[in-house]
Amino acid sequence: MNWGATIRTVLLCSVLVFLHYTLRPLLAWRASADFLIIALLLAAVRVRPGVAAMIGFIVGLASDSLALGAFGAGALAMTLIGFSWSKLKAVFFADHVLLNGFFLFLGKWVYEVVMNVVERRMQGAELLMQILVWSSLSAFVTAVAGVLALMALRPVLETRAA
Amino acid sequence: MARAARFTNRFDLVLFGACIVLSLVSMVLPPNLREPVAGSLRRSLVAPLVRLQQSAEKWRGAYLAAEREELRRDTLALAAARVPTLESDNDRLRHLLGLGSKLQWGFIPAQALQGRGRIDDFTITLSAGSRAGIRERSLVVAPEGVVGVVQTVDPTMSIAILFAHPDFRVSAMSADGSAFGIVQPHLAKTGAAATQSSYLSSERWLLELRGVPFRSTLKPGAVVYSSGLGGIYPRGIPVGVVLGEVKTAEAWARTYLLRPAVNPAEISSVMVLTPQRATSGLTNVWAEIGPVDSATKRIVTAGDSLARQAASAEAAARRAAIDSAVRVYRDSAGRDTARVADSIARAIPGAPVVPRAAPRPADSAAVRARRDTTTRVRP
Repeated sequence: MNWGATIRTVLLCSVLVFLHYTLRPLLAWRASADFLIIALLLAAVRVRPGVAAMIGFIVGLASDSLALGAFGAGALAMTLIGFSWSKLKAVFFADHVLLNGFFLFLGKWVYEVVMNVVERRMQGAELLMQILVWSSLSAFVTAVAGVLALMALRPVLETRAA
Repeated sequence: MARAARFTNRFDLVLFGACIVLSLVSMVLPPNLREPVAGSLRRSLVAPLVRLQQSAEKWRGAYLAAEREELRRDTLALAAARVPTLESDNDRLRHLLGLGSKLQWGFIPAQALQGRGRIDDFTITLSAGSRAGIRERSLVVAPEGVVGVVQTVDPTMSIAILFAHPDFRVSAMSADGSAFGIVQPHLAKTGAAATQSSYLSSERWLLELRGVPFRSTLKPGAVVYSSGLGGIYPRGIPVGVVLGEVKTAEAWARTYLLRPAVNPAEISSVMVLTPQRATSGLTNVWAEIGPVDSATKRIVTAGDSLARQAASAEAAARRAAIDSAVRVYRDSAGRDTARVADSIARAIPGAPVVPRAAPRPADSAAVRARRDTTTRVRP
């Protein structure tokens, strides 16, 4: 990845992080889009798996610092997601928007599952309901937002060759 | 080349493993060690993001507060708009309570639900039925007077025709009992088209008092009561107020147009009289016809005496004005005659002397001027 692409990616990720901390509180939906996950996807497909894991760890730990009940859980989930996306990008991602949306859905859902399981705030049927309904809904909204963002930003993005 | 690739793969795996280990360590850190790490992150990397989130939440809070304020304003406006209706309902229910206390027994209170369609304009659905004691042809009344009569009774509800229904009839009389007739709806025209237009006309809600003997006349404003002769409505329930006479082809009887005692738009709560209560009479419930009549006469008499007093005062004032004018005229005429007589007497010694009028105690300037003029003219 050249410097121009790096700067563009950093700027876009910053915009997504900005949206995560401004648009989400404004909308205040119960199942809202996770722009940090979308930013991680954008970054992960453009860097090495180890670097993607490190980015995921930093982003996750930063978000965990505001939720002390599950400190480290977000970092673990983001590390797993970042590394996996970066590893799988050559096989699956190519330039297909819907495939990107599916991986966004999967990544967000895994993140939610890890967070809910590690936090141990819910158990039994409530946990199942949260994972199957609300986490799925949140993952779906994130996937839709991510697909829209990718379609809008396609002209300024360039995927790293496999 | 392969060696370099192996190295980078190993480097990625090491980084990934390190991140996983650090994440797990973070999860199992004791609170006293976890808080410094999280605090340092919050104060450095996350601080601007937290400020962004705080400002976004402030915006949202302001938006929600404005929305709440708008809702509160709307609620207040709605409540203010409902006040007149509530006052009207309250007033009406108070009147109904007053009617209930006068009736004392044999009545069933009910809510009246007015029909929504054109066909149902002249019927109302009552919220009480045979279980509450309502029977067919029970009377429906309001504090103002006659509303209608029950036509169909179900266990929990009943349907009544209103006074404007084409089938409605009630025997009625004037307050003093001098004029009797049959009250029926005012169906001004006949035919389908006329019915269509009359349904939409406000005159359709008026009543007619038909068959009044030609010798009996009713003045506009006279109250018409049920006479008790029809067998359904007892004597003394207000039916309407005379608006005027209607010219018809009947030469032997008069027809009067009545304004119903009950405003159809205000029929919401009514009383249904049981047959026993209707047959036992309703004297002293609405208005005692005799006392009402005598009160009317007293008012008219009082009005007449006041008019007489005013007329006599006016006549006295006129008389006084005329008297004073006559006096002034007589005075001035007398003085002029005396002056002329004096001058004649002086000029002609043998002329008869006209007695002079008594001198005025107050000498006005005009009189003095006239006197001077006469003196100067005299030779």
